[in-house]
This record gives sequence, C-alpha cells and structure tokens, in this order.
Amino acid sequence: MDEEPERAKRWEGGYERTWEVLKEDESGSLKATVEDILFQAKRKRVFESHGQVRLGMMRHLFVIIDSSRSMEDHDLKPNRLTSTLKLMEYFVEEYFDQNPISQIGIITTKNKRAEKLTDLAGNPKKHIAALKKAVDSTCVGEPSLYNSLNLAMQTLKHMPAHTSKEILVVFSSLTTCDPANIYELIKTLNGLKIRVSVIGLSAEVRVCTILTRETGGSYNVILDESHFKELLILHVKPPPASSSSECSLIRMGFPQHAIASMSDQDAKPSFSMSHLDSAGEPELTLGGYYCPQCRAKYTELPVECKVCGLTLVSAPHLARSFHHLFPLEAFQETPLEEYEAERFCEACQGELKDKSVFTCLACKKVFCVECDLFIHDTLHCCPGCINPIHKNFISI
Amino acid sequence: FRLNIEGLLVYFPYDYIYPEQYSYMLELKRTLDAKGHGVLEMPSGTGKTISLLSLIVAYQKAYPLEVTKLVYCSRTVPEIEKVVEELRKLMDYYAKQTGVKNDFLALALSSRKNLCIHPEILHANIVVYSYHYLLDPKIADLVSKELAKKSVVVFDEAHNIDNVCIDSMSVNITRRTLDRCQTNVETLQNTISRIKETDAAKLREEYRRLVEGLKEANVARETDIYLSNPVLPDEILQEAVPGSIRTAEHFVGFIKRFLEYLKARLRIHHVVQESAPQFLKDIYEKVCIDRKPLRFCAERLRSLLRTLEIADIADFSAITLISHFATLVSTYSKGFTIIIEPFEDRTPTIANPVLHFSCMDPSIAIKPVFGRFQSVIITSGTLSPLDIYPRILDFRPVTMASFTMTLARTCLCPLIVGRGNDQVAMTSKFETREDFAVIRNYGNLLLEMSAIVPDGIVAFFTSYIYMENIVASWYEQGILENIQRNKLIFIETQDAAETSMALEKYQEACENGRGAILLSVARGKVSEGIDFVHHFGRAVIMFGVPYVYTQSRILKARLEYLRDQFQIRENDFLTFDAMRHAAQCVGRAIRGKTDYGLMIFADKRYARADKRGKLPRWIQEHLTDGSLNLTIDETVQLSKHFLRQMAQPFRREDQLGLSLLTLEQLQSEDMLQKIAQIAQQA
Repeated sequence: MDEEPERAKRWEGGYERTWEVLKEDESGSLKATVEDILFQAKRKRVFESHGQVRLGMMRHLFVIIDSSRSMEDHDLKPNRLTSTLKLMEYFVEEYFDQNPISQIGIITTKNKRAEKLTDLAGNPKKHIAALKKAVDSTCVGEPSLYNSLNLAMQTLKHMPAHTSKEILVVFSSLTTCDPANIYELIKTLNGLKIRVSVIGLSAEVRVCTILTRETGGSYNVILDESHFKELLILHVKPPPASSSSECSLIRMGFPQHAIASMSDQDAKPSFSMSHLDSAGEPELTLGGYYCPQCRAKYTELPVECKVCGLTLVSAPHLARSFHHLFPLEAFQETPLEEYEAERFCEACQGELKDKSVFTCLACKKVFCVECDLFIHDTLHCCPGCINPIHKNFISI
Repeated sequence: FRLNIEGLLVYFPYDYIYPEQYSYMLELKRTLDAKGHGVLEMPSGTGKTISLLSLIVAYQKAYPLEVTKLVYCSRTVPEIEKVVEELRKLMDYYAKQTGVKNDFLALALSSRKNLCIHPEILHANIVVYSYHYLLDPKIADLVSKELAKKSVVVFDEAHNIDNVCIDSMSVNITRRTLDRCQTNVETLQNTISRIKETDAAKLREEYRRLVEGLKEANVARETDIYLSNPVLPDEILQEAVPGSIRTAEHFVGFIKRFLEYLKARLRIHHVVQESAPQFLKDIYEKVCIDRKPLRFCAERLRSLLRTLEIADIADFSAITLISHFATLVSTYSKGFTIIIEPFEDRTPTIANPVLHFSCMDPSIAIKPVFGRFQSVIITSGTLSPLDIYPRILDFRPVTMASFTMTLARTCLCPLIVGRGNDQVAMTSKFETREDFAVIRNYGNLLLEMSAIVPDGIVAFFTSYIYMENIVASWYEQGILENIQRNKLIFIETQDAAETSMALEKYQEACENGRGAILLSVARGKVSEGIDFVHHFGRAVIMFGVPYVYTQSRILKARLEYLRDQFQIRENDFLTFDAMRHAAQCVGRAIRGKTDYGLMIFADKRYARADKRGKLPRWIQEHLTDGSLNLTIDETVQLSKHFLRQMAQPFRREDQLGLSLLTLEQLQSEDMLQKIAQIAQQA
C-alpha cells in the first residue's frame, strides 16, 4: 500500500458505497440492525446517567494519540491524523468547559515509542497550540500501547486519591509493539485505579477489549467522523467515581477580575504569572485575576497558582459542572400510536414522526427523539419548564 | 426450563433457547417417531449437542420401551469431552427439577486407556464414544456388537463420515508392515511349539471348536443379539473353518505363504491396479491359495490368539491387518480395488512400494449400522447438499433438514474475490496457478487484509505443495516482508509437533495485540479440528477451491465406482467434496452468535452457481449479489465497513426476542410461525 503514490485526492480515496446507507429498514440489512442497536444504546446512556452517583469531578486525564503509520489512512478526511487532531481540539475545549477543575495531558506514540506532547495542565490554550502543531508531524512505524500507558501511568500514579485518574487512547493501528507483557501492566493500572478507555479507529482489537474491561473503561470503535465525535464527547462527562476513592476538601480561590482602564492614572501594568511556563515574550497587562491568598496575577482562569499552589477558578465555571450532579430527569417514552394530542415537538416545532414521543414529567410537554437527546446531552434543562407561557404564546 | 415439543416434555437446562434449537428438536422428534434415519444440518455454535441430548433423553424417559439407548458418536477426544460436559449439565438439571436421584447411566469412552469394560455398555443408557467404535470393524466387534436394536445412534460432525467409513475398511500394506508381520509369525510359531510341549490339550480343544464351526456366532446373529460385522460375512458363519488351516501349525504356514506372495507382489517397477477377483485368481495360480481359507483368516487368527493367551494384542497389529485384508479381499468382489504402487507420487525416485487395498464404497462399513438401529441421525454444521449423503451412504432418511442461524446482527460476511486490482482473474485453476499475476494478486489480497483485520487471520491453501510454492514466490517478490510489518506469520506443516507449536504462538500473538496470520491447508489438521473463536480468527481466507488431488489412482477408482454404482458424476462429487472442505475451513471462524468473522473465498469459480449452491444454507443466505466477483479494493472496503459495524457494542439483551428466546417468547404465536421457517426440508 505504501509503495503507491499518496492518494491525495478524495475521489481516489476509495469507494464510498453511499447507496448502502440508504437501504430500507425492512430488508433487515446489516446497516439498519446495527444502527438500531446503537440508537438503543444511546437512549440507555441518557437513562444511565440519572442514577444517584458520585462523580469524579476532579479529573486527571491523559489522552494517548496513536501517530503510527496507520494514521495516514484516508478513510477519515483528509486523513486520520488531521481529523483526529481537529476533533481533539474540540474535545479539549469542551472538556475544560465542562470540567473546569480538571487537567489534561497529551501523549503521542509512534515508531514503538511514546512521547509527551503536553504535560498534565489545566489550561486549554497550551494543549490546543500543541495539537495544532502536531498536524504536520509524520506518521511512521508502529505504536506501542505498553510504552504510552506506562508513560501516562508514571505521572498519574502520583496524583491524589480523590481525583479521577483516566487515560483515553485513540487507537488507529491494529497492532502494538510492546517491550514486555502488557497484561502485567494492565494489572498494575487496575491496582492504581486508573481507568483506561479506548476509541478504535479501525476495528476491535482483543488487547484493547481486555484493557478496558479490566480497568473499567469503555471501548468503542468509530463508524465515521460524526460517530467519532459522538464517542469523544462521551468522555467529556465525568465518570462515576469508584466507591473506594477518598473524599477530601479542596481549597479553592475565587479571584475577582480587577479591571483597570488606561485612563486610570494609578493603574500599573504588570506581568501575568502564567508567562513563566510559556516560551513567548511576557506581556504587560493592566487588569487580571489576583490570587486571594498571595496576590499573584493571572490573566486566565482556571489555573493553579504558581506561587502558593491554590486552585483558582471562577464561580460560573464551577457552576457549569453542576449539571453533572443534578441532571435533568429522563423524559417518559411513549409509543406514537398511544399519543393522542397534537403531534408537534415542543422544541423544534416539527411533526412527530418517530416510533415514540418523549414527555417531560415536570411540565408535560412533548418532544421528539432528536430534541430529547439534544436537551439531555447539551442543554441540560427542559425548555418547557423554563418557559411555561411559551405554549400559550404560540396558541394565541 | 421445560418445553413441550409436540406432546413430549423436554427438560432444557438453560434459561434461554435459540429458535433454531427448538426447530431442530422438532425435526428430531419426528425422526424418532417415525423410527427412521435423519440428516440434519445446523451451524456450529447454535447448541446442537444440548438439543440432541435433551430431546433424546426426554424421549427415552417418556417411551422407555421404544428407545432404550443413545449412542452418541463424535470425532475427537475434546469433542467427546464437550458432549459429556453438556450431558452432566442436563443430568444435574433433571435431578434438580424432578428431585429424583438420577437413574441414568452414561458412559464415555474416549482414549485407549479407558477402553470399556464390556458388560457396562449393555446397561448404560447413554454411550458417548468415537466413530471408530462403531464403524471400524476391528474395534466395533470388541465394543459395540451387543448394542440393542432399539438404540438411537447419532453421528455428530458427520460431514466426513464417508471418508471415515472408507478409511476403516481400507488397508495399506508396505514393506514395513510385511516385515513386522514376519516377526509376528515367528513369535506365533515359537509360542505354538512351546504350548505344544506344555499344554497340547489346549490346541486340541481349539481344533474341536473349529470343527464345530462358528455355530455359536451364527446362533447369536440369528437371534439378533449382535451387530453384524463386515469382516465376518454371514456365509462363513454357516460353515466350519476349512481343514487346511484348522491346526495351528497349518494356519501359520498358510499365513507364511500368503506373506511371501505379498512380498513378491510388492517387488514391482510399475503401477498395477486390479480388482479383487483378479487378485484371487492370481494368488491361486501363483501359490495355490484358495478363496475359502482366505475368508476365514481374520476369524482364525483371532481364535488362535485367544487360544495362545496372548495378552498384548497391539504387538500383533501387523498380522491382524494382513488377516483382515485376506478376509476382505476374498469376501467382497465389488466395492474394493487393489493398487500396487512402486513409489510415492511425491518421491518418484525412492522405491517405497505400497499395496493399497482401498474401499470405494462407504456404505459397506456403515450398512450394518443403518440396518440394525432403528434411528440413525447424521448431523453437522456443514452437510450441504443434503441429498448427497443418503446417496453415497446408501440409506433412506425420513427427515432431511437444514437450519439457518437466526441472528440479531449479521455476524458473518462471506465475500467472493474474483479479481485483483489489475482485473486479472484470481483462481487456483491448474492452468493458471503458476501464473505470476495470480500469485501476486493472492499476495496483495493477504497484504491488504493484514492491514485492516485485527488480531488473527487464518488463510487456507489447497495443498501443502501449493502453499510452499506460493509462499516462496511471495518471499521473492517481497510481499512476505510487507505482510510481516502488519502481522506475524505462522505456517502449518505436516509435522504435528511443529504445527501445535505454531498454533500456540499464533494464539499468543492474537492475544497480546501483535496480530498474526496462520497459513494452513484445507483438509489438514487445522482445517478440521481447531476452532478459531473471536479474536483468534477475525477473517478466514480460502485461497482457491480445495479440490482433492485428482491424479491419485485411488481417487480415480473411487470416482469411477461412484459413477457406475450411484450415478454420481465425477464433477458433482469433486465439487461437493471441495465445497464441504471450503465450508469447513471458513466455518472455523464463526463458533457462536456473539462471534463474528469475515469469510473470504479467493477464487472466481466460487461465484458460479454450482459452487455457491453447495455451500451450507447458513452461509449462502448472507452471500448477496453484491458480494460476488469483487476486486481486492472492493473487498477491503466492504471488510472495513463490516469490521466497524461488528465492533459496536453488542450485548446479550440485544439478542433477546430475536435470536435468543425465553420460554414465554417461544410460546408466542408469531415466534412459532417464524420457527417453522427456519428448517428447510431438502
């Protein structure tokens, strides 16, 4: 395959049998049945998240990105690597949006080695910059699952017990080149309570199945780009904390943003402490967040104070992760035939055509499948409950 | 749970049942009711064994006078152990449900070390053992001849039963056999002269018995106690052993003469083929051995060995073999052929003469079984086309049915690859098999598949020689090196120890994520007995159509016989034989409903209706028009898609109601109707 000149053009990339997607459900085609199962699983996920569970809100997550030869495959456009890195950028943003007090680190593996792209840190900008830079790197050799897991483990094992320690592997290759028995490592990971999840880009690999099963993670294989994105988003939500993890109180600072205008004579421009990490030129700024403990200045939140080690967050940030703890109740599912009132979805105003409709238990408004998923996955609150006069308004 | 199958109460030891199991039991019950024989095809991994056991045991309990015994024959020791395991589960369930202490006696005979104690078989309700105990006349006589007529006999994994029958009746004699036989004769002679000095009365007693004839045996057969033995034909029971071989010395002398004759026959430089009557004529002319004493040879030798009280029969295998040959050759004038070859086909320079006394008619060995037992069930995962088995085994079944696998998701993906990306046809046809382009395309197919299939791939070739040629060629072209960048390569050889080592390492590589390819041969050990569940076999690639080696004289004789006696055309039989082996090979990958795997047939000839139509129904069903005559690229695209689909989470609950039923679901009207469609009567 590699001897051939690179297939750069999309039309050279391979047959996309688009007509197969259009197969009717009744024929019992493979596509239909598998998708049905997938849909059921999706619904289930919504329900599952509604138990009373403790969530590991403070997460330390290492993302391992396979950068081996197989990442050059063109079945994701333009190729697997670019597509993956783009989605990772999105993932990192979402991740910090929903988990403001968590950290992330990125590891890549190729040529039988593993290498840290970024260390565990709580600032999305740095990670995104690193991801952007990685697009140009070449994909060579084989990945090493063992080496990369080991590298992640070296850092994670020093993390305090109350945090949720996770590894997410984006695995494109079907093989791994390991220096030692990986099953021993899996045992160690299990002992350290590190949860490993895998997103496969090509097919189900046995060692990943075992790895995720033993460490309590999830294993999914993508169907296409949109499914890939969906699977990544699943990892944005904090996982339920293992019952044995400790509880502890965490000191946090909520600095006020001090604004000083240029016209203000007393204002003195100063450096932000975060320039200590960055290689770029330090910049003088006027305003910023001041650590309530030591008065060190930062331009961005969330961050861990360089001087006194206090975690600095803003209150809205923290509030945003609340919906994980107080999720919206699942809507009641009823078959379409049994539903007798007007067949309009409360949210999108479209006609209700699917097999079942969904009713909010609080406001008794009715929604379609798509909106039900959107409300539970993204909005986290029922539009019917928030805007009780909405219905009347329409009818007038 | 408890099932009601047309009025019969069946205890089923699992909480869930596959619809096809229910359907299978239904057919089985009808066969038993009709007291006839049956041919049933159901894919492996759908619980054939437990369905068979639970129905027949229930039948035995309900009608103890109609069916007294179940004889379950399987092929290998692990398979027998599996049956026993299931049986134990069933018995535990019975004990728990009925609260009565189990009064069933089940007996399993597996390896030689626990070879049976005779009377126990008579009392056991269930006997589980290998085919050979029933089919091989040498063993059947020891073990099985007293089985009651009202037994139900089941042959599991019976797709090769005709070959087992033939093998059990065929005799191959080499120089080595004759040499060992010579030693046997000498030992016998010494023993006889020793006994003569110490205990002459014993030999006299034997002589008297032989004069009396084999009357006892005759009486026994007439009263229908024994299973008839093909090596002991009816006629000789009515006669006394001829005078010429009655005394021990004479008999040994007789054998010696026979031996010398065989030795002379092996001293040849060209191939000789002759029929049994021709052979008898020749032996009469050369050394004056008559047909009649020859026919008594096997029986006479047995009697002698018994009289001499020789404990270790195994040492006398050579002479026993010769005596069987003598009896068979003089008894059957049809159905056998004698071929004497001065050397093996593969090594034409090394003299290694062999006398093949080969059976061409499988029905000879199995005839007593069909004749004696009221129901004989032949079952396997691959028995297509169903109608050929009754024809070659010469029996009339009351039921013939093929069952499909009900699936919640399509977990098998048969693809027929007919062309390379360069549009050159891909085939192992004799004229083109050495073609550079074909070999390169085969290599490309394996290379591309090795890049997209996770964990294990098993590739089958049509023969060892073909595999060696292709692999050598791949090595020269650098294809092998490229494949090794994706997966490790293991090769099955004719050496059993080497092969099992390769298998072990192959499995290890599949387990730890390295990925591996096993290159093996259709009809080899791997293709028949080894299962590649889940990650051990995500794809099976069948390179070419595994036709049997048609230049073999034995095969030619057999084909001729089939044509003359059963009106089966040579081509039909060869295709049937090739397709059942192909089906066996690709069937290795799917061993249950949660398993999944690609089945790749790499030869354009598979797309033809006469080949395709001979695949088992459960594979044919999934072979759509869109998956015929594909190029390598198309195959890769389809496979990628399939593998991604199959990697989606799949739990047991997803199967419930579709391919896995609770008792309630089973009893619903809809489901019963659906089940009625599962079985297809041939």
